[in-house]
Amino acid sequence: MERRRRILRWGIGSFLVLSSILYLLPYVWMIAMSLKPDGEIYSTSLFPQNPTLIQYDRLLHGYQFGDLILKVNFPAYYKNTIIITGLSLVLVLFTDALAAYAFAKFNFRGRNVLFWIMIGTMMLPIYATLIPSFWLFSKLKLVNTYQALILPGVIDAYGIFLLKQYMETVPNEILDAATVDGAGPFRRFWAIMVPLSRPALGTLAVFRFLFVWNDYLWPLVIIREETMYTLTLGIANMQMRQGMVVHGSQMAAAFLATLPVVILVLLMQRQFLRGLTAGAFKA
Amino acid sequence: MAAGKTRSSTSDNPRKFTSWKRIWKAATPYIFISPFFVGFVALQLLPIAFSAFLSFAEWSGMNQIQLVGIENFVTMVNDPRFWNALRVTFTITVVCTALGTACSLALAILIEQATYWLSSLLRVIFFLPSVTSVVVITYVWKQLYNADFGFINTVITQFGLPAQQWLANPRLALPSLIIMLIWAGLGWDALIITAGLRSIPDELYDAAKVDGASGWAEFRHVTLPLLRPTLTFVLVTSVIYLWGLFAQPQLLTGGGPMRGTQTIALYLYDVGFRYHKFGYASAIAIILSIIMFISSYANFRVVRTDVEY
Repeated sequence: MERRRRILRWGIGSFLVLSSILYLLPYVWMIAMSLKPDGEIYSTSLFPQNPTLIQYDRLLHGYQFGDLILKVNFPAYYKNTIIITGLSLVLVLFTDALAAYAFAKFNFRGRNVLFWIMIGTMMLPIYATLIPSFWLFSKLKLVNTYQALILPGVIDAYGIFLLKQYMETVPNEILDAATVDGAGPFRRFWAIMVPLSRPALGTLAVFRFLFVWNDYLWPLVIIREETMYTLTLGIANMQMRQGMVVHGSQMAAAFLATLPVVILVLLMQRQFLRGLTAGAFKA
Repeated sequence: MAAGKTRSSTSDNPRKFTSWKRIWKAATPYIFISPFFVGFVALQLLPIAFSAFLSFAEWSGMNQIQLVGIENFVTMVNDPRFWNALRVTFTITVVCTALGTACSLALAILIEQATYWLSSLLRVIFFLPSVTSVVVITYVWKQLYNADFGFINTVITQFGLPAQQWLANPRLALPSLIIMLIWAGLGWDALIITAGLRSIPDELYDAAKVDGASGWAEFRHVTLPLLRPTLTFVLVTSVIYLWGLFAQPQLLTGGGPMRGTQTIALYLYDVGFRYHKFGYASAIAIILSIIMFISSYANFRVVRTDVEY
């Protein structure tokens, strides 16, 4: 019996290892292609025979045809993505935490109605606001701007929901003690609520990072100029360059766009898993 | 409270001070929610209302908005492209949800059997696509499916099978898209199912063993019933996600060949941003929203009913 169980365990273990290798194949392909010189792109071997960094070099310095250099604005895509992700994280955490604090710890008229309106719209897809939002930002002459990329992503009812659940568990006694010491409502928020809600804020930060960094539809609608492209738009549009072999540099760009996300998720695994399972079991 | 009273009684103009303080106190929560709510009204509520209004109008974004009653919805009912998009999205949703959930369940159960370090490693590996941009995922798969140099054709020709036009053949494009979607969603669902598996008390399995239950009976009578809330959650979130599917078909096949992979969201985008029929696009958005709202609401209800053993 014991022996049979051990054999079974080994069987399952090796099956899983084999399937995970197969599962990773698209990632292996991505990295392998990004290291191939142009001559090997169409070869049938998976791994590069003469690995080279030329595809990465092109992202920085452009494609060279004799004297002609065709620039790829990849560094700009990267810069744009970092800026909008950073700014939108700061804004979303601040506005969501403030609102969540009010919903969790204050009694005010209209509280429940407002909360349910928020939850109700949270269930609607982005398509319900896409056309009016596009029209609004074009009226405001904000097409091709950071404002247009950032602002819609800052409105995040889900984050308020998540933070409110957490802040409700912070005991009122701690807040009352601060009141007795003369702390006003904003001070209580900033000096007590925010530090105590760090785990929930961390979870929300990871979620928002992933969303903004990887978003595609909204940038596609609101950005027309190549200098304002985000990483996702940039990678999607590399296909359009006629006459060039872009498959290699496209994979190099894909790899560089994916790397920070993977590192972040590995570092923040705990916050991330907590958020995920909280969605399934605590909501 | 007591502190406030003593302080105001020592102030020069006690009455005025308290009333200001009262107003300030009453306003505090509204001030706290205002940064969010200003944006929420401008970028969510008003756009939603405007969408609903536009769905009864004709508008190209340039000309005057013309109210046309329910004409957009009549057009929709008679629009074969809309029905095609609905059918495509429905097929993707049903097949991906059913196959994807079954595979994730199997994966989650197998990973739980592995040793601790192996299962932690596997969870990270299978989770990678969930954090990778869909643009990256789709372009990698587009190359894997490529008829000339793609890895899939390389492998199958080595086994003596004919190379296929995975994305250009109308009969293969939809299955190719579905396979990619299942691959990408596997780790996320498996992770949630794992959390569900872990919340099942060990005593129940011990009791089943005492009763002499086989592995299958244990799965059938302990695991599956107790996993029902988790599985429902996974099913419903997956259904909501797939109804709104856009980027993957747009980048992989452009909705083709012959509209064979054109989802509702893709059709909506074409109608709105390529043909500039904002009224009709809004009507499609409203219908899609209703479909997704109902699915979300079902999800919310299911999640809210707490799991009891």
